[in-house]
Amino acid sequence: MKKYLFIYKSEIMSSLQYIENNLLNFLGYFMHIFIFFNLWDYIYSNPEELINGYSKCQMIWYIVITEVIWVVVGGRKLCRLISDDVKSGNISYNMNKPYSYVGYRLFSHLGEGTIKFFIFIVLGGMVGYLFLGEIPNLNIIQLVIVVISLILAITIQTLCSILIGLLSFIIEDSNPLHWVYGKAVLILGTIFPIEFFPTAVQKIAKLSPIYVVSYGPAKLFVDFEIKTALNILVAQIIYLFVVYKLCMLMYNKGVKRINVNGG
Amino acid sequence: MLMEVKNQIKVMILSFKYAVMREMLNKVTFLSNIIFMILNNSFFIIQWVVLFSLRENVGGYTFNQVLMLWAIASGTFGFAHFFFKKAYSLSDTITNGKLDAYLVQPKNVLISCITSDVSPSALGDLIYGYIVIFLSGITISKFILYTFFVISGGIIMVDIAIILGSLSFYISKSDMIAETGNNFMIYFATYPDGIFKGIVKILLFTIIPIGITTYIPVWVLTKFNLFYLLGVIAFTICITIFAFVIFYKGLKRYSSSNLMVAKI
Amino acid sequence: MKVIEVKNLSKSFKVKIKEKGFKGSLKSIIHPKYKIIKAVNNISFDVEEGEMIAFIGPNGAGKSTTIKMLTGILYRNEGEIKVLNLDPSKDRKKLAYKIGTVFGQKEQLWMHLTPMDNFKFFAAIYDIPEKEAEKRIEELSNLFEMESFINTPVRNLSLGQRIRSEIVASLIHNPKILFLDEPTIGLDPVVKENIRKLIKKMNKEYNTTIFLTSHDVLDIEKLCKRVIIVNNGRIVMDDTMNNLKYHYLNKKIVEVKSKEKIDFNDEDGITILKEKETNLKLEIDTRKKNLSDVLKLIDPENIIDINISNTPLEQIISEIYKDNKVEKLKK
Repeated sequence: MKKYLFIYKSEIMSSLQYIENNLLNFLGYFMHIFIFFNLWDYIYSNPEELINGYSKCQMIWYIVITEVIWVVVGGRKLCRLISDDVKSGNISYNMNKPYSYVGYRLFSHLGEGTIKFFIFIVLGGMVGYLFLGEIPNLNIIQLVIVVISLILAITIQTLCSILIGLLSFIIEDSNPLHWVYGKAVLILGTIFPIEFFPTAVQKIAKLSPIYVVSYGPAKLFVDFEIKTALNILVAQIIYLFVVYKLCMLMYNKGVKRINVNGG
Repeated sequence: MLMEVKNQIKVMILSFKYAVMREMLNKVTFLSNIIFMILNNSFFIIQWVVLFSLRENVGGYTFNQVLMLWAIASGTFGFAHFFFKKAYSLSDTITNGKLDAYLVQPKNVLISCITSDVSPSALGDLIYGYIVIFLSGITISKFILYTFFVISGGIIMVDIAIILGSLSFYISKSDMIAETGNNFMIYFATYPDGIFKGIVKILLFTIIPIGITTYIPVWVLTKFNLFYLLGVIAFTICITIFAFVIFYKGLKRYSSSNLMVAKI
Repeated sequence: MKVIEVKNLSKSFKVKIKEKGFKGSLKSIIHPKYKIIKAVNNISFDVEEGEMIAFIGPNGAGKSTTIKMLTGILYRNEGEIKVLNLDPSKDRKKLAYKIGTVFGQKEQLWMHLTPMDNFKFFAAIYDIPEKEAEKRIEELSNLFEMESFINTPVRNLSLGQRIRSEIVASLIHNPKILFLDEPTIGLDPVVKENIRKLIKKMNKEYNTTIFLTSHDVLDIEKLCKRVIIVNNGRIVMDDTMNNLKYHYLNKKIVEVKSKEKIDFNDEDGITILKEKETNLKLEIDTRKKNLSDVLKLIDPENIIDINISNTPLEQIISEIYKDNKVEKLKK
């Protein structure tokens, strides 16, 4: 564990070098929020109106949070990195290193995103306040739970990208799969809360990763309930465990395959 | 002059052909890139079905108009990225001295550079655009107009990528600025103009010319207007000239691979 | 006829200085610091038609910068350049029809195509009619002995075959001058020798002027009659190969490891550089002393290991550079 923390720390240090890039990234984030602010402003005829149980204010805060996860993880690049590692055979060089490849990628990616996370949470919060003039009413404990759930969401989302990247062991190029996965998460849980969809879709979405990597923490932030909180945290822990195990399984199987081929 | 243009086009076509051949080396990847991109784009229909279930029109657009908006947005993006992929990595080309190879050729540097690679997934975007415009109901004149707007909008998008990429002649590490700028073009292109007001609306018809690449084409496709059409043509010509001027002005400062950031 | 004329040419680069760490990053955004580096500093020289000229110097001496200004890649800051009576930055396209370039570290070829298809592509770039191009390709592929691999995709070729293809691609339009920037970098000695032979043959056949930069002393020794040495952006020497050889490439370093200590005395032509128990390092001036005569002085039975080498180019250049300073002081 110590070595992973070291990887994590050194990745944070090196990400400090590119801090200006984060600010540019934030500009893009800001534009997204801005567009949705305009969109919901148009759709809601008056601020008190509730659509599928959400007020305009809640809708916008919801997207402020989900977009932070979306941008901080930015899984597309990570997936490409890993599938390139698999396709080029570089991944087998990692076999005789004294750490697991999955762990290494996970912690280095989280390290890369940590500073970004802080910048986006702070600035994103400011932007939300600027647009709406109010913040959801949460006490300290509730806020801590939301933050924990956010961190879990980012970790699971990162692992999901790693898993899809590792699928390149089986299929030629797994990047396109990640586009589709990304779009599903974006539409079904990032720009809209799950409640906006027909009940059948809701049921599926609640079982899918969307519930834990995007919907969960944002829902808690705009509408905290201790029962949902427990639900979400438990689901997140289960997902974390399962996706991690799947990554390891994929990696071990895939590497064995390379060995057989003498690659 | 005419001969020169003819030869330039000949090289362009050959270079395009070779670039496509390179991508086709792996047919499975090539096809899956295209198909998955179409699938990927299709998700947005869900977004609009949801929004239209809440309101009968969004930003003054009917569902059919949103389809046209999507067709134009996806088509222009696909056109720009498929034929001119390298325009989007111009920053990298400039900072890493990769323009050298084009500079020693007796052809237009900028054109040779930006036409030397293609993006298969962008072909998916281009195809998707045509699928969606068909879904919105098609006539021959609409088809021709749509194709025209895809080309004009695509060229404008490439021009913007060139202008942003040319920043690298002046500012080191400006690739992120270029990327952010190019993303702005995509963000706004898929939302009706009616939801924006005031200054933002003015910006969308000037500095971030989504209005000209996307909104005006949707209006013209809905109800033909010659004045708007000519405006789009004029704007496309002007911004193309501007992009070339900016690039060639910057080229004088090109430093090949000698540009480095010294660290102490 | 002069094909290249360079007068008082200078080029400098503005380089951003960045301090390390978070603070440094912030500092460099708010208040960037720059340093002007003079890559080429007031150089002048001429090249005659048909000459094979070597342009050498250590890394960062300004070799590539000069070549890039001559070929129209970089704009100059000061001075005059005339290549085939054209100004490279003003008449870039016109000049491009008349010169060829090979950059050893940068590939100009499409990797997934065969050399043949690549040559056809370059023929189109230089507006050569198809029939003419075919004839030219055949001629060049004979000269460069590439029949066996002309239809194999470039990515499957060996490094030596690739560089041959690069050279042929840059000769398709029958250029008057060929610029070769480190053409043999990364090749093994046998392949290097082969490339040199082919370049020489080509020079003879077409009377192409060759402007070569290289790190490898042998490249220069075997190919060029004239050498220009640059250091810190200035020309420190412009002389014939024979003169350079006579003055500087006449020293051999002999390192001997022996069973018993060998006694050597400094005599005319032999300098003892290092002597440490049974390890001995000698410098032999081959103008004064024959190498084989020196070796005869060592009992073969006594040798554990022996190594004979040339003075490294970097050292020669720094010596020339030092001499240059001394001369200046004298003046």
